[in-house]
Amino acid sequence: MPVIRAWVIAAGTGGLLALLAAAGGAQFQNRWMGDVLPASDDGKGARAAPAPAVQVPSPGNRAAPLLAQAGPETGSPAPAAPPQVEESALRYFAQQGDKQRLEREIARLRALYPNWTPPADPLAAPANIDERLEAIWRLYSEGKLAEARQAIARRQTDEPNWQPPADLLDRLALAEARERLLNASQIGQYGTVINVASGNPQLLTCSEVDVLWRVAEAFVRTDREARAQDTYRYILSNCDNPQERLATMQNAARLLSPPLVNELLALERPGETGTEEAGTGEFASVRDDLARNAVARGGSDAAITVAEDQLARVEKLAREKGSASDARLLGWYDIGRERFRQAEEWFSMAREREDTADTAQGLALALSARHAYAEAEATLYRWRGETDETRATYLATVANLLGVEPRVKLSGEVLQRIVAEVAAARDVPVARQLGWYARAWEQHQTARQWFETALRWNPDDEPSAYGLALTRHLLGDAAGLAEIKRRWAGRSDRIRQVGTGATEAAPAPGVDTPSAAPRPVASETSAAPLPRKAMPRSTPRTVASGRRNCPAHIHPETLSPQAALERGWCLMDANRPLEAAQAFEIALRAPAERVRRDASYGQSLAYLRSGLVDDAAVAAARAPQNGQRAAELQTAILAERALGAFERGRYTEALIALEQRAQLAPERIDLMVLRGYAYLKMRRFEDARRVFEAAAGTGSRDGLRGLADLRAAMGSP
Amino acid sequence: MTFHVLALALLIAGLMPNTARPQILPEEWTTYQERFVAEDGRVVDDGNGGISHSEGQGYGLLLAVLAGDRPGFERIWSFTQRELMLRDDGLAAWKWDPATTPHIMDANNASDGDILIAYALAQADALWSEDGFGESARQIAQALARTSVFEHHGEMLLRPGVAGFAAGERPDGPVVNPSYWVFEAFPVLETLAPETDWQAVARSGRKIASAGFGDRRLPPDWLSMAAKPMPAEGFPAEFGYNALRIPLYLMRAHDPDMELLKRMRDGMTGPSGGVARVDLDAGRVIEELTDPGYRIIPALASCILDRQPLADDLTRFTPTNYYPSTLHLLSLSFARKERPECL
Repeated sequence: MPVIRAWVIAAGTGGLLALLAAAGGAQFQNRWMGDVLPASDDGKGARAAPAPAVQVPSPGNRAAPLLAQAGPETGSPAPAAPPQVEESALRYFAQQGDKQRLEREIARLRALYPNWTPPADPLAAPANIDERLEAIWRLYSEGKLAEARQAIARRQTDEPNWQPPADLLDRLALAEARERLLNASQIGQYGTVINVASGNPQLLTCSEVDVLWRVAEAFVRTDREARAQDTYRYILSNCDNPQERLATMQNAARLLSPPLVNELLALERPGETGTEEAGTGEFASVRDDLARNAVARGGSDAAITVAEDQLARVEKLAREKGSASDARLLGWYDIGRERFRQAEEWFSMAREREDTADTAQGLALALSARHAYAEAEATLYRWRGETDETRATYLATVANLLGVEPRVKLSGEVLQRIVAEVAAARDVPVARQLGWYARAWEQHQTARQWFETALRWNPDDEPSAYGLALTRHLLGDAAGLAEIKRRWAGRSDRIRQVGTGATEAAPAPGVDTPSAAPRPVASETSAAPLPRKAMPRSTPRTVASGRRNCPAHIHPETLSPQAALERGWCLMDANRPLEAAQAFEIALRAPAERVRRDASYGQSLAYLRSGLVDDAAVAAARAPQNGQRAAELQTAILAERALGAFERGRYTEALIALEQRAQLAPERIDLMVLRGYAYLKMRRFEDARRVFEAAAGTGSRDGLRGLADLRAAMGSP
Repeated sequence: MTFHVLALALLIAGLMPNTARPQILPEEWTTYQERFVAEDGRVVDDGNGGISHSEGQGYGLLLAVLAGDRPGFERIWSFTQRELMLRDDGLAAWKWDPATTPHIMDANNASDGDILIAYALAQADALWSEDGFGESARQIAQALARTSVFEHHGEMLLRPGVAGFAAGERPDGPVVNPSYWVFEAFPVLETLAPETDWQAVARSGRKIASAGFGDRRLPPDWLSMAAKPMPAEGFPAEFGYNALRIPLYLMRAHDPDMELLKRMRDGMTGPSGGVARVDLDAGRVIEELTDPGYRIIPALASCILDRQPLADDLTRFTPTNYYPSTLHLLSLSFARKERPECL
């Protein structure tokens, strides 16, 4: 009762009624409220109640509601004495044991008649029962509103002096209004919803929360958010049913913009535990969901900022409530902001609770960010077929797994499933990576098959064609190589340059994953120069004439550049590299480019022979060389570097140099053995074994010795 | 107050139903209700999947007034208000389907339904002095005036529905339905929403009704007014279930144009004496309708034109289906009030 009374009083000071009046549906506003401002018009709300200051309807501003049959409208204005409240319906509800409807009916009567008190015993029948009237009440109580109207009209026809009780008509009108409002709400006719509510303020009470929700929604849908908020605020300030309060807050959170929602959240009452702590208030679940939504939005757009407290709230939920989806939300949030380590934690947590495609995808991305490709593949394998995205991520992960250096030795099981997936997906990049992978393990026939497969799927894939060219060359398939060259003539320099010496090029590591940074693509794309079988220490076949003419004691400064050049070669033949270097220095001053080129080449060789690798590198760069010579110089320089690094105990550098050299020229057996020892020193025993076995397989004694050293090393701790 | 003036006007116009002599007999109305009006006040179109519509509710309300049955009127109005009078603009959603949730899947209106409802409400107010009915009638009339009456090439036309029929909404728009002009209602609408020239609307309606197509020179169910009036696209070009009401409406409104009435009577009479549904393009009779509710219409016309009384099977009412039964009672009520010599 305090609720209703407060509302009735509030009507005079701009309460809910004023709210609706001011809202005004379009054409019916004047019709409902007349020209009287709501503040002074208690109007229909107090039509049958003995409230003070009731507006007497006058001809000018009669506001007859659309729900016509309002008997009291044409009857007298507000009675002075309290009206007779018909309690028949209460009896029916009580008789049927329908507690809920009984309570609702009592609430409605109180809304209509604030001075009325409910009977102590609703079941007690009054002295005189009007059977016919009881029958009409029964129809009302059964919701048969049309039949009730008909019955009333029938009785009025039969007994012209009979007046239906005022509150029967009131309640009938109210029930009709409610249904009309609900129906209009269901089909989105929001103007009607607001109009009906305006015309029937008795509907806007705590016993009609569903109506209030629909009115609030109608305000939202007609761009009057503030009015909607007022409606929700009314409920939260006045109504007590906990489930309805929670549902109200949920509705508001769904429909209103965040600042308005936050204001309503402040009306939260303490939850069941009775504490004042915000987290355990009655709206805790709404706050939880709002926080989740915010984090989810932040997950799909890295530019969005999520409030700290909302983030913290979801983190707490994820840790304490054990739901996989909360952990996932946080994982995606972190992924978007490239906090991969945290993302990995969240996705791992989610995965423990529930393995899903989404979780696996997120975890795979996080793992890939720290190059844990094997784990990522294993995580995602099961879900690879779930969506296009998971498949794409899986294949990218596999490509990385195959391409990463140092090469990961994959189990037969993993390889098989990768192969199956690649075959199913006809994925060219991974097929190509399988080719490089096989090549890295010296499985050249397999490599050939994979490059051929990739080309079958995409005949225009140049990297696969390049790999195939290299492989065919390695396998001695001259006809096959020529065919590729012909097909790619004019389209690929490096294919064109795959020549008579087998050139190996290591495959490019690291295909891009969606969020991992791209690994530097090593020289798969760099031009492979023409091979030189000749050892760098042997003399090159250059065109210098008169090479043998090199008497000692001639100061090179006195020579012309051309002469100096010839002298340089002569000295190289005589194995006097340092003097040769000096002579070449003079030749480098030549105006003619050809002379300078030869001089640079010669000087580089001279330094190499002298063991001055860095000087050799510098010399090589002093004039542009043709591809053949450049490769020759480079391979020689790199071999020297590898040697030097190994001797200084810098094994990784040695391997890198060997690797770079192997991209330019076939691996010499002695360098292969060097590689093996480098692995051995680094305790990469499997790699060492593989290399020593390959070397030994060619008959190299050094290779065999290496295997022995390996066994010895493995025997020791 | 205004509505008692209205009642006077109706009396003068001679359209006021006379409660001493109901135009529909109690037993007729009872059987009609038993067949076609549910307990909850829903008029059921049993020829159309058992749906309800604003046209049916309007006819039901009108028949209740003509039968002098206020309780029945109240019952039908209760359903109409709660379930159909939902649109923001104050008009009725046209279709209510018991099989769907929500029952209204298409909230467009049908203007003939709104006209019939407003007309019946106004009659009810006059008959039973119930201001509330009159107020409701006025609101509907004004809503119609605001949303559904429009000027086009010098004519005052009626939109069949607020959505979908205007010039900008279809290539052959504006499209109208000639049978939506309930001629007898326009004088009443004039008093309810006087700002609109309903007489002009009526005149345009008569012009449209006399648009004759094919050999039989009949109006189509749906007419495009974009250029020269033509049967509308997307609908069968036929004088069919819609248009066959037009002569009944003309008669009930005491339309003086006997040429038009004769033309329509002749055109709608099939070779075997039934009511012809005519394909206006091909110029052939699609079907002859034999239900007395349909046949009574040209028979009434013959009575007016040639003083031919109605056959016995037409003067007895036996309910068949909602639509012809409705037309039957409307025809009988007209005959009883205005042309008792026909019976």
